[in-house]
Amino acid sequence: MSMQLASFPYLSTILLSCVAGLLVILFIPRERETLVKWVSLAFSGIALALSIFVFCAYDRTLGGLQFVEKLRWVEPLGIHYFNGADGFSLPLILLTGIVHFTGVLTMWELHGRVKEFFAFAFALVLGVFGFFMSMDLFFLFVWFDVSLFPMYPLIAIWGTTRKEYGALKLFLHVLAGSALILPGIVYLAVASGLHSFDIVALMQPGALSPGQQRFAFLLFYLGFGILAGVWPFHTWSPVGHVAAPTSVSMIHAGVLMKVGAFGILRVAIFLCPIGWEYWAPVMAVLATIGIVYGIFVGLRQTDLKYVVAFSSVSHMGIVGLGLSTVTAEGLNGAVFQMFAHGIMTALLFSSLGYIYDKTHTKLIPDLGGMSRVMPVASGYFIVAALAGMGVPGFASFWAEVTVFISALKVYPVLGILAICALVLSALYMLRVVQKTFYGQRNERYAHLPDVPFSLGLPRMILVAVMVLFGLFPRLMLDLIQTAVIPFMGGLPR
Amino acid sequence: MKWLILGPEIYFLAVAAVFLILSMLRPNERRDFSAALFLAGLGVAVTLATIRLEGSLFHGAYRIDLFSQLLKGLLSMGFFLVVCLCSSLKGIHETRQSEFYLLLTTCTLGMMLLVSSLELLTLYVALELASYSLYALVPLRSGGGQPMEAGIKYFLSGIATSALMLFGLASLFAATQTTLISELILKLPALLNTPMAFVGLLLTLCGFFFKLALFPFHIWAPSVYQGAANQVTAFVATATKVTAMAMLIRLVSMSDGNTSLAHVLIALAIMSMTYGNLVALVQKDFKRLLAYSAVAHAGYSLIGILSMNPTGYAAAVFYALAYLAMTFTCFLVVVKVASDGRNIAVTQLAGLHRRSPLLAMALMVGVFSLGGIPPTIGFTGKFLVFNAAMERGYFLLVLIAMINVVVSLYYYIQVVKAAFLLEPDEELPAIHLSSPTTLLTVVMVVIIVVGGIWPSHLFELARSAVQALR
Repeated sequence: MSMQLASFPYLSTILLSCVAGLLVILFIPRERETLVKWVSLAFSGIALALSIFVFCAYDRTLGGLQFVEKLRWVEPLGIHYFNGADGFSLPLILLTGIVHFTGVLTMWELHGRVKEFFAFAFALVLGVFGFFMSMDLFFLFVWFDVSLFPMYPLIAIWGTTRKEYGALKLFLHVLAGSALILPGIVYLAVASGLHSFDIVALMQPGALSPGQQRFAFLLFYLGFGILAGVWPFHTWSPVGHVAAPTSVSMIHAGVLMKVGAFGILRVAIFLCPIGWEYWAPVMAVLATIGIVYGIFVGLRQTDLKYVVAFSSVSHMGIVGLGLSTVTAEGLNGAVFQMFAHGIMTALLFSSLGYIYDKTHTKLIPDLGGMSRVMPVASGYFIVAALAGMGVPGFASFWAEVTVFISALKVYPVLGILAICALVLSALYMLRVVQKTFYGQRNERYAHLPDVPFSLGLPRMILVAVMVLFGLFPRLMLDLIQTAVIPFMGGLPR
Repeated sequence: MKWLILGPEIYFLAVAAVFLILSMLRPNERRDFSAALFLAGLGVAVTLATIRLEGSLFHGAYRIDLFSQLLKGLLSMGFFLVVCLCSSLKGIHETRQSEFYLLLTTCTLGMMLLVSSLELLTLYVALELASYSLYALVPLRSGGGQPMEAGIKYFLSGIATSALMLFGLASLFAATQTTLISELILKLPALLNTPMAFVGLLLTLCGFFFKLALFPFHIWAPSVYQGAANQVTAFVATATKVTAMAMLIRLVSMSDGNTSLAHVLIALAIMSMTYGNLVALVQKDFKRLLAYSAVAHAGYSLIGILSMNPTGYAAAVFYALAYLAMTFTCFLVVVKVASDGRNIAVTQLAGLHRRSPLLAMALMVGVFSLGGIPPTIGFTGKFLVFNAAMERGYFLLVLIAMINVVVSLYYYIQVVKAAFLLEPDEELPAIHLSSPTTLLTVVMVVIIVVGGIWPSHLFELARSAVQALR
């Protein structure tokens, strides 16, 4: 993999802006709630601006790993502070920047323990950014855990439905994954004989024997798969999504589940390609079950958040299906789907959050005719729902089409099953939209105000991003391609 | 000038004498505390000043090297930190406070002698000096039955283990005809396949398993943690654990990678981790919970020791240091929350985030560090230990340990939940921390986090310390 050292540590500056945001917030008196929000907005704005910058400044003709920062950290153990961005990680870095920034805006009306909320949120986002940038397994694991532990307080303190149960379930499930990942990374470093946690060094062909790769792949696939919501390890995700407060649901479904999927890509697939080919059929079956199962369970839900949460399970299944094809298009589509689904889910949860804040219910039978009460707020949800169905014009359309084309070639039966299920999903999303936003208006909510411009801002940004990459998908696909082609070309065949 | 290398030991002997005199004068709480704080602070300085000294005394029975001096540094710091918690010694009657400091000093002195002992009898005598001080410290708490029960339990199980250990020492001597560790290192590896030497070494180790509260030598731990005064528990939970880990490293390193011994230690480590974590799940009293968590941590630290390679020993030293920092932070919170010196249940931490945001944060950092969540020193310690075990190919052991870590998160998160989430039944007053206490709390949090993020200097120090073992 080619490497370009950074002229300026842009990636570390992104991390630093999160650390700075966290520290500044800690020193603000807890009564100054508005100040905390402005400070959060400023620092998340810096992070967003920098992530847009690295996304645009990445040299697509050169490809490889760019903006590389490498420092020796613990010499005797072969641990490096090693950051870099490539076509796989850049979409996700951008996604994190966008979702965090819009998340802060979405929580603008939060009252009570505001300081702690935003401090924990910065810790979480710090971990996520770090995870996407890191090219050293040790740091990768550190960032992984850093991004997970704030979830517990964030859900348990500010959450809603069965929040303590949901928080604990989520926390223990996703950290159970780390019980497989940590032995896995230490195993790789020792078994390869390199005594190094450097991903680029461990990627060299021949560093790990086929048997070791098959074994380690399973550890990482299961470990990260829990966080990626792979069926049957997804059970924490709907409960956690539903319990979490709005912006945490956004970050969680939008970004954290991608941490799991990206972990499978960056660690399992990168380092154990032979194991990847070996286990790919299993991955495909689990992913397809996830797609179908998510849709069928979603059909029966009456809680809007559960509907969205189960659609996340099935959309993450599409990511998994893309990864399991072991083809360039499949990988490309899977990464694009991570990005597209992140934006889409963030929008779904964000628009839902406003409706819930006003009506204090998210049960579909209780709502009804919302588009007449708050046409704009409803509009955002409907747009996101359409994107979720894979309507052309939105980013997710291209991502899903790419994945399904490659899946049909490799696994025709599973591919057809998944596509049929997706048609069904259109049915169920439309049912939700119809029951919630059209039909008889519930008079109880008739007096509620529609979403004002300032609060609508985060949703507008998300819609704009979705449409931008829907109209110009090559902005993203070409970038991902710069990483996919050399990687697939370098595979041992 | 030759005696200068004994600086820390002589100094602490002098401190003990000071408190012996003070205990004969009229009791005065403030005077005792100020004297202790000053002398303990000076003790840290004295010990750190001698950290690079090397030498050998009494025909090789007593050696000063980086390993022993690093641990003496840790012990003096542990002593100082525990004294810092004693500004209001509510758990101990005023008339006995000088004795409290006296016994704390002699115990520290005993442990300092212990880490330098390279001869089995010296080692035993030093261990008993430390132990007998603790036997007296535990029941010193005012308030009847429970401290007494804890004291008697500790004493009886303690002397029983001492007997076992003496038997082990005798067998070792019988097998090798020497009591000098420097000679044992040469003779023992070849003899370890004989039952007498093997059992001898194992029984010798039992003395320190007891101090470390490793399963099945942990029976005293819950009662003592719960029964002793909070400050005494803090001392038992930090300083004695560090010493026990250090001595296990020294004794296990004599075996030169014997696989049978490693297998026994693996079994003990697995049992200790699993038992400690499972029983901790149902604990209501915070100190009792910490006791079972200590049983589990004894298992984790043993993983580094049983790897029997320099990385493993260095990892175990690092772990000891990390354990000192994080456990102390938890006890700092216990002492400050229980301002009247009583025990606290986990649910009594409710509302801590409003009563004292700083303590709540310190508790969260300390507990997450115990739970092994990065970027804390506790995580780095575990990582180093697991790395060493993996180098020996103990994949399953690492996997079992990690599963244990996840199990343990359940009870650690209950503590965080109590501090941040639960609301107390009645409104409790805010906890006011004096500015030195605030500083101490912040410093502990910073140590835990910074030690987790930049472990490389500490790890280098640990590595050079274990090189002195050979």
